[in-house]
Amino acid sequence: MDARVAQVAVWRRRTRATRYTAYFAVAVAVAWSIEAIVIADTDWSRIFTGTLLQTLRGFVDLDFSILPALVQPTIETVLMATLATLAGLVLAIPVAWLGASNITPLGSFSYGIGRTLMTLSRSVHEIVWALIFVSAVGLGALAGVLAMAVRSVGFISKTIAEAIEDVDPKPIEAMRAVGGTKFQILLFGILPQITPVFIGNMIFEWDINIRRSTIMGLVGAGGLGLALFRQMAMSNYGGIATVVLVVLALIILAEIFSYYARRAVI
Amino acid sequence: MKPESAIQTGFAEVKHSQADGQSGAPHAGTALEVKDLRAGYAGREILKGISFSVAADDFFAIIGPSGAGKSTLIRCVNRLVEPTSGAVIINGRDILQVSQSELRGVRRNIGMIFQEFNLIERLSVIDNVLTGRLGYTGTVRSLFRMYTKDDIKHALMLLDRVGLSEHVDKRADRLSGGQRQRVGIARALIQNPKLLLVDEPTSSLDPKISREVMGLIKEIGLEFGIPILCNIHDVELACEFCTRVIGLQDGMKKFEGSPRELDKAALQDIYSMEVL
Amino acid sequence: MPGAAGPAPRSAVPLTWSRFRYPQSLYKYGAVLATLAFIAYALDYLKIEVDRLPGLLGRVWETLSTRYYPPNVGHVLQPDYLRSVVETLQMSYLATVVGLAIAVPLAWFASFNMTPSRRFAYPIARLVIMGARSVHEMIWTILLVAILGFGMLPGAIALTLYCIGFAGKLFSEAVEAIEPGQVEAIRATGANNTQVFVYAVLPQVRVAWTGISIYTWDVLFRAATVVGFFGAGGMGWFLRESVQRVASRDVAAILLSIILVVIFSELVSAWLRTRVAKAIA
Repeated sequence: MDARVAQVAVWRRRTRATRYTAYFAVAVAVAWSIEAIVIADTDWSRIFTGTLLQTLRGFVDLDFSILPALVQPTIETVLMATLATLAGLVLAIPVAWLGASNITPLGSFSYGIGRTLMTLSRSVHEIVWALIFVSAVGLGALAGVLAMAVRSVGFISKTIAEAIEDVDPKPIEAMRAVGGTKFQILLFGILPQITPVFIGNMIFEWDINIRRSTIMGLVGAGGLGLALFRQMAMSNYGGIATVVLVVLALIILAEIFSYYARRAVI
Repeated sequence: MKPESAIQTGFAEVKHSQADGQSGAPHAGTALEVKDLRAGYAGREILKGISFSVAADDFFAIIGPSGAGKSTLIRCVNRLVEPTSGAVIINGRDILQVSQSELRGVRRNIGMIFQEFNLIERLSVIDNVLTGRLGYTGTVRSLFRMYTKDDIKHALMLLDRVGLSEHVDKRADRLSGGQRQRVGIARALIQNPKLLLVDEPTSSLDPKISREVMGLIKEIGLEFGIPILCNIHDVELACEFCTRVIGLQDGMKKFEGSPRELDKAALQDIYSMEVL
Repeated sequence: MPGAAGPAPRSAVPLTWSRFRYPQSLYKYGAVLATLAFIAYALDYLKIEVDRLPGLLGRVWETLSTRYYPPNVGHVLQPDYLRSVVETLQMSYLATVVGLAIAVPLAWFASFNMTPSRRFAYPIARLVIMGARSVHEMIWTILLVAILGFGMLPGAIALTLYCIGFAGKLFSEAVEAIEPGQVEAIRATGANNTQVFVYAVLPQVRVAWTGISIYTWDVLFRAATVVGFFGAGGMGWFLRESVQRVASRDVAAILLSIILVVIFSELVSAWLRTRVAKAIA
């Protein structure tokens, strides 16, 4: 019995040792990062002697006078997000068609293309897309809408593709039996089945797009981001804080709306 | 091990296991006393004033149809469910009046065995048994899973007693139902409990394993001198292994007595149906 | 009964059918009309010139191929820039570790089933997570750069805040999906809240949380490549610098490098997730 106890104790010590080495490795990496960021790169003297408290106090002193001027940007933000989600849906349909293993037209080749497009859309940050589109179509809401639409394609098409792959094969069989083309099969066999699934996801992505929409203006695309940019340009810290609060309120409202809307759909 | 018997007809025929003159003999000290216990939530009362007492050498059964409140009753004893009024007196102390931190001390002296075993699936058998010592282990030590050598020895001995020595390092989700229940029993025992609460130990097990588990629980109760309060829906098993029985229906006590007093009339009263 | 004019109808249901059914069709067509009207209104409000759209693709292609091609790869291979890639990695890594460390207890408090205090800890934790999530990480970056000046520190802190919101929500959702039986059993042994969390909750959420953690790092890294654009360190800083110089070929090179680096990190994280899931499960 005592030998058994000793055996168990040794085994526990050994597994503990491996766990702690892993933690140690993580800690070393963290320490290295902290050294590089906090110690080497930061000018602490400037932070403490200079503007830190002043800036913070500036933020707390909210500037409510700009609120009426924020109504239009808020509407712009919401409209941009909504248009972008709809456009994203339109663009996502062909991508989902390619990226769904059961209906992809050219086998693993087109499947690969579909999945690559999905990954590409999601891997690139919305700011990067915005910069690309601003340089392509100029400043303004269009660039922001396009950037968010392309960014949304990844998630929406992935959701639709997964729903298509989970679909009931019997109606599809029936469509093939009556001699339908691939497109008709998509329209009558598959679409009716997946509609309820992806509406919930659309609402979810719309909610996320509202968040993205708030910063599109920082690269010239309008909305609350632009208002923020203007306040920054004027160094009106109170105004900056006000815009941020409006953004916060908008997103919380959007989240509440999206939560109940999704419940209603399901 | 009890031999497999055919279905017993006539509940008057009750087997006294390890007959030692339980019924009729004076109680060897009261381990648990429940007085006028009420429990429920807004709009619905589940327990409507239950009173009974469990002696130190009892294997006490609670029977009754589903929805009668058996599960709630047993969870009121260690306050996993908070009763609305009444008293639960364990070794002289009304634990319903006790503070949250004192409650921990009370709970670590009460072992509980669950219907669905409630093991930590991802942990090994021995780690599961050792979690029974959590009430005795400080937070920091338990975070690092530094149980004492004595604890480990105790765990191994208990696993040997319940017949699971070969499965000590296996993951809990790799065991059969009967084996899992044994782990649950060992976990309850490593607490050195003064009272054992058992919630439907055999509902998730097949008949043969059920008898083995009930037999094991009874043996252990006698061997370690622990009173047992047990929910059970199988009346036959209750009569075969238990020393006293109460019958619950719709939150009220309909019967209290020894198994041989549990006749057709009493069962009809409890279960409100024709007993064949 | 059979008659000269063919079998008589068996019931009073009319034998005609039209595509328009009331009121379901009304709702459907109404919804489509409303959507189209909305799109028209939105396009007008946002001053998007619809007549410019058809030639859009052509103009985009033209712009990209003349001004942005070929990308100035030399710019990207400078040691300064390569160092910034490492800096981006460091920022994202630190933010992930610190953010997750904060997110774990926060998610515990913010989970409705396991929170130790439903009156205080729960709503406060929920609020913190929501606040951290709602504000875009770039807005956090801007605010922190305004307070702390340029450099990697504001970027790292902004990413940490984003991590707390992002992982906190996902973590707490995983906790709310656990089985109550195991929690009951540990509570019954007399364990305190922390022990219940460690022994009944953590083993159940371990797999989900690991996947979430790796996914969070992936998302943070993507954001880290861009925070420099608003004043924090890393690759984004060079992006801003070349945008301001209107050096389109440099911008193209940097954008491409960012895309490549992010795709690489995505592949790493996907591989890591499958490996770790197998090891842990």
